[in-house]
Amino acid sequence: MSFIWLIGHNVWSKKVRSMLTAAAVAVGVLVVVALGIVTDSIRTTAAGVLKVGAADFTISQKGLSDILESALTEQQLTRVQKTPGVKSAIGVLLDTEALDKDHPLVVEVGIRPEDLAPFGVRLAAGREFTAEAADEIMVGVRLAQDIGVGPGDTLHIGGSDKTVVGVFNTGNTFGDSTVMFPLVPFQAYERQPGGLSLFFVKVDKGTQVKALEQRIERDNPLLLGIRNLLEFGRADRGYQLITGADKAATIVAVAVGAIVVANAMLLSLVERYREFGVLRAIGWSRRRLIALIFGEAAIIAFIGACLGVVIAFIAVWVLADLPDLAGILKPTFEAWVFGRALVTATAVTALGALYPALRAARLSPQEAMRRE
Amino acid sequence: MNESAVGEGVDATAMATISREPAIDAVDVRKTFDRGIVTALDGLTMRVDSGEYVAITGRSGCGKSTLMHLLAALDHPDSGSLRVNGRDITHPDHVNRYRRHDVGLVFQMHNLLPHLDARSNVAVAMLGTHTSRSDRRERADELLEMVDLADLGHRRPPEMSGGERQRVAIARALANRPGLLLADEPTGSLDSGAVERVLGILEQLRSEEDVTIVVVTHDDHVADAADRVIRMDDGRVVDAL
Repeated sequence: MSFIWLIGHNVWSKKVRSMLTAAAVAVGVLVVVALGIVTDSIRTTAAGVLKVGAADFTISQKGLSDILESALTEQQLTRVQKTPGVKSAIGVLLDTEALDKDHPLVVEVGIRPEDLAPFGVRLAAGREFTAEAADEIMVGVRLAQDIGVGPGDTLHIGGSDKTVVGVFNTGNTFGDSTVMFPLVPFQAYERQPGGLSLFFVKVDKGTQVKALEQRIERDNPLLLGIRNLLEFGRADRGYQLITGADKAATIVAVAVGAIVVANAMLLSLVERYREFGVLRAIGWSRRRLIALIFGEAAIIAFIGACLGVVIAFIAVWVLADLPDLAGILKPTFEAWVFGRALVTATAVTALGALYPALRAARLSPQEAMRRE
Repeated sequence: MNESAVGEGVDATAMATISREPAIDAVDVRKTFDRGIVTALDGLTMRVDSGEYVAITGRSGCGKSTLMHLLAALDHPDSGSLRVNGRDITHPDHVNRYRRHDVGLVFQMHNLLPHLDARSNVAVAMLGTHTSRSDRRERADELLEMVDLADLGHRRPPEMSGGERQRVAIARALANRPGLLLADEPTGSLDSGAVERVLGILEQLRSEEDVTIVVVTHDDHVADAADRVIRMDDGRVVDAL
């Protein structure tokens, strides 16, 4: 017999109690992980547009609740293009449209034909649209496969039937799910002549991206630079709200989970008064007793984390198939999910086990052995 | 009165003449409960020599179990001196080590861990004593053999009789080779056959091992087996035969 063996044996020999406690941990993990996957998915979807332009940074209007509402002008684009250190700046107009029930949020990009290549668009089939062709569109390869269209087909989008003249890829999942329109007709359809949503900026070799971004912001107080996903919250309050809600829900889930675990472990403590009293009576130190309880809690945390991740995956799959979320919620199951589950489970269990462990350690052996 | 047993009224000169270091040396020990309302031990003084087998008797509530708890360092006296093998066992720094290495406890209700088998119940007392896993197993098997339970090492307490459980408890108490074995009503819940087996083991310990044994009992048969009987009343030693 070893100490580690005893820890494992204690968990195993009280299976029902251990599983119930692990279930409490799993609920906390489920909430945190499912919420994490959902918010990450929404976040990725919302910020995905930034990754399309193959730029060093993106510029939007300042003070927005939704980045897609950004309203910029051709004049602002010209000023940015003339800023020293800017190699190129491409202006695009964005909107979203529901194509069908499986594609409720298709992003539409209005762009000049000459900007397609610098924007990272590569033709996979067909040809590029022409600048003034109001009835021509190009479809991203992923979306084209999804809805089964190719060059020559017709698609009802942007208020009328359009001819798909080309299929493109950008090397980016989000970009390959968009539809591209010639900018000028798209501006007309959107009733925003000369209007743009975002600028995608590439910098000259040797220019510091951050410094240039700051300079453009200084010279143009209504503009905001975004270099990465972390900075996305500066431009999109919706993103900030999602992130804030995620953090708040995580704290609540950990707190509720810890209370449930503490409750389960306190009940278990009462049940094990005599056992702890005997161990103290035969010479076990308080430290060893605490180590035993935390060791058992660690195993339960691991089981709870695994259980929680599995249930969270199932829950997210179910959510992603709901009609209201199909196409919007695109869950990605990455390594951080497991990390987050383990951290949550550890936090829930450690917090939950702390008080019971300290109480057990403070028990008087003779008092404990008198109890049944 | 036996010179090694000191109750009330023994003068200091007589004490001084005793040269051999006592296993237990309790002087004027006082213990109260409920903020001093209930007096359990009222200036108890007693001495037990190394290697002795002593039975402590007395009516219920006379302080026997309180004395055992103090000797096991499960509780502290309010005042007085309590030394075991020359060491002050009330010192907080000594308590864990004392309980782990110097004293073995046998309770009336065996107090084995029900989810562990007999071998593990014995070995659990050796965790944290710098013995290897194989040594712990070997020692547990050796002790189970000594209490005639070599074949039952895999059984858990609910699968054993009362007498078998009590013998496992004795094996656990001896796991770390303590110099002092304290047994509180060890035969209180056993049938006569099991009592004889437990007494046989205690007798074997007394004769073959260098263990001081103190047994609290109501059973005259158990008391008769001891070298000496200390009778208590109202928290004091009233007689030592």
